[in-house]
Amino acid sequence: MSLLREAVPDLRWRRSVDVRREVAAGLVGALLVIPQAITFAYVAGVAPEYGLYCAVFVGFLASLLGNSPMVGGPNTAVSILIGLTVLPFAGRGSPLYTELVLALSLMVGFIQLLMWLGRAAALFRYFSPAAIIGIKAGVGVWLIASALEGATGMGPMTVKFLYEKFYIVLAGWQELVNPYATLVSGVTVAAGLLLRRRWRRSYVVLAVLIGSIVGGLVYGWLGPVDSDLELLGHVTLDALPFRIPTLGPPHWLFLELAIAPAIAIAILGLAQSLVIARDLKSTVAPHLDLHKEVFAQAMANALGPFFSSFAGSGSFNRTAIALEMGARTPLSGMVAALAVVLIAWLLGPVLTYLPMPVVAGVMVLVGIGMIQPRELRPMLNRIDGPVLLVTLFAVIFLGLESGILVAVTASVIFFVASASQVRLAISHQGEAEHIRVTGNLFYASIDRLAKHLHANPAAVTSLDLSRVPFRDATAMQLIERIQRERVRCGGKLEVVEEG
Amino acid sequence: MKKLLFAAAGVLALSLPAQDAAARPTIEELQKRAVLDDYEANVLFGYNIVMDSNRYAPRYAGNALRCSSCHLDGGTRPDGFPLFVAGVYPKWRAKNGVRNSLEMRIRDCFLYSLSGVMPPEEAPEVLAVSAYISYLSYGKSIGTPPQGWGVPTLPETGADPDPARGQAVFRRACTLCHGADGAGTAVAPPLWGFQSFNAGSGMNVVPRLAGFIWANMPMGAERSLTHQEALDVAAFLHIQHRPFDPREGRLRKLAEEIYHGLSRLFGARAPAAPTGR
Repeated sequence: MSLLREAVPDLRWRRSVDVRREVAAGLVGALLVIPQAITFAYVAGVAPEYGLYCAVFVGFLASLLGNSPMVGGPNTAVSILIGLTVLPFAGRGSPLYTELVLALSLMVGFIQLLMWLGRAAALFRYFSPAAIIGIKAGVGVWLIASALEGATGMGPMTVKFLYEKFYIVLAGWQELVNPYATLVSGVTVAAGLLLRRRWRRSYVVLAVLIGSIVGGLVYGWLGPVDSDLELLGHVTLDALPFRIPTLGPPHWLFLELAIAPAIAIAILGLAQSLVIARDLKSTVAPHLDLHKEVFAQAMANALGPFFSSFAGSGSFNRTAIALEMGARTPLSGMVAALAVVLIAWLLGPVLTYLPMPVVAGVMVLVGIGMIQPRELRPMLNRIDGPVLLVTLFAVIFLGLESGILVAVTASVIFFVASASQVRLAISHQGEAEHIRVTGNLFYASIDRLAKHLHANPAAVTSLDLSRVPFRDATAMQLIERIQRERVRCGGKLEVVEEG
Repeated sequence: MKKLLFAAAGVLALSLPAQDAAARPTIEELQKRAVLDDYEANVLFGYNIVMDSNRYAPRYAGNALRCSSCHLDGGTRPDGFPLFVAGVYPKWRAKNGVRNSLEMRIRDCFLYSLSGVMPPEEAPEVLAVSAYISYLSYGKSIGTPPQGWGVPTLPETGADPDPARGQAVFRRACTLCHGADGAGTAVAPPLWGFQSFNAGSGMNVVPRLAGFIWANMPMGAERSLTHQEALDVAAFLHIQHRPFDPREGRLRKLAEEIYHGLSRLFGARAPAAPTGR
């Protein structure tokens, strides 16, 4: 019954909605998502229109089915993982490749639906924020590295480690680097970084504008042959790009091989969405239902491929901007999705001439935006710090998929390590010893107490366990064993639970 | 066990040349197959682009033409710019003054003949057409141009190509399919205007266009025009309005125009034309 309630759109937000604010936030969101959608489509290896479809349909469905102002749509980490997963199976951007991307997204959606049935929202609580920030920063590094080819006008490189790319470019820049492309991407990045201080919301759009003007001047002066600037090309948008995802034998074979990455994508998408949703729940939307949000994301991804969209998730930066603009309900997300169609259709002829180095510049800007010193600094403590660093290095050097596994493992290990901290307050009243234990007593944390109690079997001790919220069988068995030992040796161990 | 392995290897080794000798699958066979490997899928994609560029390569195609507008019968007809030419690439071309790979050559077609956006060499559309070209080149010579390459070079006729006579020929022989205004019909592509090839394309070279027309036009009555008539029609087409040559930077052209205008205005400052002395 509660599942059903989570599955049907909840439109109660209608009653208390500030339509003007929501629409304004939606329109700004639509303007901002267009460069990102094109960029992430490039990252995922499909034609630009698929990124726009993702912004429209995944964004709309996630907002319609959800109950928060969270903005969904194309997502950096998810797009990178999709690209990395499908690339070995088909030529980048070919029709088969696109079909495989949609099939993979369908599978991701269904895995997320299973996670919804398995009440994943509760589980993701244990995914530490440090790990998420580590993954985010790692994805930022990946994004900057993947922008390198486009920014310098080179063909795609296949390397084992990220840093090899920088080495290749530095070593062979005279033959490899197209100076005009580098100029255009450099101007885009520089403009973005300079404007970011003044216009925190719209600096990407302004950077795209400036980069495109410079690119247009170079292209207009030298022509396509001499400048060798790559352009975006015609973006052919359908109003309703309905299609049934092709699932022939090659697609099934691929899906069988791609289960592990699909699970990784599903986890990564939901983890990011839930971090945003938990944040919203604690600030602007106290009645937010996390399970419903999981369902919305899952269903959007499962239905998206029927509208030519690849998988997405909640977006940190676009949600933040929507909140800043005063969005409080899912209406802003829906307006943003619909406005994308309109703006992209109006911009269509101009978009054709968008230089690809500008897109690469946007990738660098988004990547830099994901490595936030403001977010990293509070994490420099004994528990979050190691998790963050381990995750970051794993993502950079082992890749995203393994990075997620490492992040989960590190979260759990460091959580257990922090949970097994036990404080013993020992006081003496004449002969008798009084020990007050603070913390959880379980197999991992029992050692110090056991050592202390074993040290003097003849002592008389009262053990105060009132501040031990959790004790496992191992701990209780151990205490009973010591009690018996004390009785044998003439001592005493008394367990007290003072209020 | 070992024997069995050797036997299996033997059978495999014997079957290999047999497989090699088997004819390559036709496009129709590929279209019917449920499972294609990456190369075959790419060939089919390339074939689709060649037959319907606007539908299968919308990102880079720019006008109403398709590859098969010039590369007749999907690039299989000799003397009709056939595409079975993978064996001669990479080769140096005067057009851009560098050694051209097949992919580099293909992107020129998108830029000039399709009057669109130049795709990068590694664009999926380019790689697909490249795969289709090498598929068509199966069994053709490598290193030397194959039979029927390009279009025939017409012999000297002794008279200059004349656009005025060409117009008459055009009215008589071409308008039925291409339309009186050259804008094309359902059965034939546009010959000039914004929906046709631009001024930088190979078709805009009179001798080559004349060779193409003589060998392939009018369809169904090929080689019925005389060499002189073909040349005249080519000259007539050449002087029509079509999209500009994209090699010229428009802004630079504009700057040059302004500079020349200004120097004409301030005649004294302009460098004097060299005199015979």
